[in-house]
Amino acid sequence: MSRPRAERTLLTDHWVVDPVSRRAGVASIEVHSGKVARLEWRDGVAEARRTFIEGGEPGAKDPKRLVLPALVDLHAHFRQPGSEASEDVASGEAAAAHGGYGAVALMPNSEPTADHPALLRELTRSAAPRGLTLMPIAAATLGRAGAALSPMAELAAAGAVAFSDDGSPIADPARFRSALITAGALGLPLIEHCEDPSLTKGGEAAEGLVATTLGLRPWPAAGEFSAVVRNIALLREALRDEPRARLHLTHLSTAQALDAVRAARAEGLPITCDITPHHLALTDAWIAGDQRWAWEYSDRRPTQRTPTADAYNTNLRVCPPLRNAADAAACRAALRDGTASAIATDHAPHSREKKEVEFGLAANGIAGVETALSTLLAARAAGEFPLSLVAALLTTGPAAVLNRPALARGLAVGGSASLLVADLGATWVPSRTTLVGRSINTPLLGRSLPGVVLLTLVNGEVAWKAE
Amino acid sequence: MPPTAVTHRHLLDVAGCSWSELTAFLGATEAARAILRSPTGRSDALNGVQVTTLFYEASTRTRISFENAAKALGANVNSVAVASSSVGKGESLVDTVKTLRALGSNVIVLRHERAGAPWLAARVFDGSVLNAGDGWHAHPTQALLDLSVLVRHIGAKDGTLNGRRVAIIGDLLHSRVARSNLHTLRAAGAEVRLAGPAPLTRGFAELAEWSDGVTLCSSLAEALEGADAVMALRIQHERLEGGEVSSLESYRTAWGLTEARIASTAARECVVLHPGPMNEGVEIDPDVADGPRSLIFEQVAEGIPVRMAALWRTLRGDEPLAGAVRIKGSR
Repeated sequence: MSRPRAERTLLTDHWVVDPVSRRAGVASIEVHSGKVARLEWRDGVAEARRTFIEGGEPGAKDPKRLVLPALVDLHAHFRQPGSEASEDVASGEAAAAHGGYGAVALMPNSEPTADHPALLRELTRSAAPRGLTLMPIAAATLGRAGAALSPMAELAAAGAVAFSDDGSPIADPARFRSALITAGALGLPLIEHCEDPSLTKGGEAAEGLVATTLGLRPWPAAGEFSAVVRNIALLREALRDEPRARLHLTHLSTAQALDAVRAARAEGLPITCDITPHHLALTDAWIAGDQRWAWEYSDRRPTQRTPTADAYNTNLRVCPPLRNAADAAACRAALRDGTASAIATDHAPHSREKKEVEFGLAANGIAGVETALSTLLAARAAGEFPLSLVAALLTTGPAAVLNRPALARGLAVGGSASLLVADLGATWVPSRTTLVGRSINTPLLGRSLPGVVLLTLVNGEVAWKAE
Repeated sequence: MPPTAVTHRHLLDVAGCSWSELTAFLGATEAARAILRSPTGRSDALNGVQVTTLFYEASTRTRISFENAAKALGANVNSVAVASSSVGKGESLVDTVKTLRALGSNVIVLRHERAGAPWLAARVFDGSVLNAGDGWHAHPTQALLDLSVLVRHIGAKDGTLNGRRVAIIGDLLHSRVARSNLHTLRAAGAEVRLAGPAPLTRGFAELAEWSDGVTLCSSLAEALEGADAVMALRIQHERLEGGEVSSLESYRTAWGLTEARIASTAARECVVLHPGPMNEGVEIDPDVADGPRSLIFEQVAEGIPVRMAALWRTLRGDEPLAGAVRIKGSR
């Protein structure tokens, strides 16, 4: 497809949040020949800075049009090669552009695994008809089998931005330590999916009242916690041999795991973590048919004890599983206090064939790249996060994890424009019609969500424009 | 969204059933029993209805009693033998249900090893789905027949189980029978005491904590204290491989129902139930299973009228169940 260049775009009096310059407020932006030609803060730079730092929000009289730097996703699955019936690079890229994303890191669990430099080169070459920045994460071990390390140096040279065996935690502690050291020497983070499979084998839902009531096989919180604690211990040791070793834990979901990361960060260890939109906004009670946002619970007590007709919706089957309201609250608290510094979608599209089956037999995963911003805006509307934090968690946060701050610099004057425009006052309903990705396995189908993305510019070109 | 327990279209669950809904079931069960006692033993109430039993797990009691119940109401019955059908060739549940719909089934009675499978079937089937047991989750008609038997034997004057204490002993974790009975027994007003080896009561301490009138006990004696009824659950041999039970002998020693144990702590007239199939000499002594307290074969027999009521109410709601077919020439 042809990519229309944003020849001249004038965004007059929008609510702009720029986590890079740490400014927020009413501003006008002019994009010319793909570059940000002008950005003027209506009430001056000092006021814009104060508004950002104090978490100032647009008032009733302020514009409803929001501008952010184009979003950055640390964790997505575009299923190419191997499962193109679920998604491919073009459909995934379109979905991401619709979600306001300008840069997406792709996990290596394709078929074949992204553990070979040629595969990475092919992916980066063939990709991106809409011009998004697609960044391959290479496998840490060959075939993500947890045994021999992948050729990390060659993979880094071929464009890998991180290493991960996502979905297959590295079981062997010695191998994990080696992976940390080797990746660290290349200046790249190791991204780990923390799960002890001996504890979670067969698990269908988070251990707790909902799983017990619905007769679903329990996936205990310790299945995440024990892996997190082990990985922190191994990071501490790896640093003695390789001071550049860096560990990023993806899609953490439990209070106790986040407490462990909080303590490790306080100790000064180079560890970061991310949280998915679904783990902060949904709970396991959704499996019984209760569809309240996680922040709408006044206490731990789940009220939906009898399954509704919508129960056992396989779009809720995900790994790690959705947890109770207390864990979801801990996820949001961790994002507020900086323990977790990024939102990652874990966009995991699955075809209908893999989801229209019994709950326990359904593939794990939620297609999330199109609803992430709206989910965060729903949390913001409930007072969970200020807009400035939402912006940072979706842009500078993930860019910092990858140590690529330029990814979030889409509003820098003189640079290529990478930004999104969203209507904060409008709502939309995810459906087969409104979603752009090939698979629509999201539990948010049919639910009215705040924030409609009107325009996504990536490197000065139009990647998404609402009709 | 209202609970789907009884939608008058499907019978997926007894969770959320009120006592008045349960008494309506018991009333329909009485009507079904009258049909069975009549000279012909059958009715034509569901003439022309096609009932299909689709069992992904082995079953004797549940499948046969559903089939007999459907026949006693005049329905046509067929049965998918999962092992020898397309299901054995990997046909998905959804495709199988759509195939049965195309072949004219009005009712699917589904037994499946995965929790929630009947919900999936109900979403793609325009007839009625009756849950005949889904994984660890629910076994609605078993709970209804247990309730029917218990009300008859230990019921209060008002027909409830108010003031009665029922103990459920054994492998709660894997038991759909226990989960469904918890709902019906509580709705009937009974106090429920649960007990079993700790690895097999996983999650039930929390469940009891959040449920009024349900206690998880740490010993068999505590659970049996003052019990008006005790239900033993089957201990499956797979639990030995999983290490959840060290040996059947040790299980029997700690949790086996013996006459001496019942007599020493339970109420004098305490009755004994078991959903079957039994491991006699493990979770229950042969003397108890065959003794005067045992309602086990009554439970099996109760399956037919209860499943007649379940079929009838699922298809026809509150309409009264019509009488028996008369013998030609009689009045």
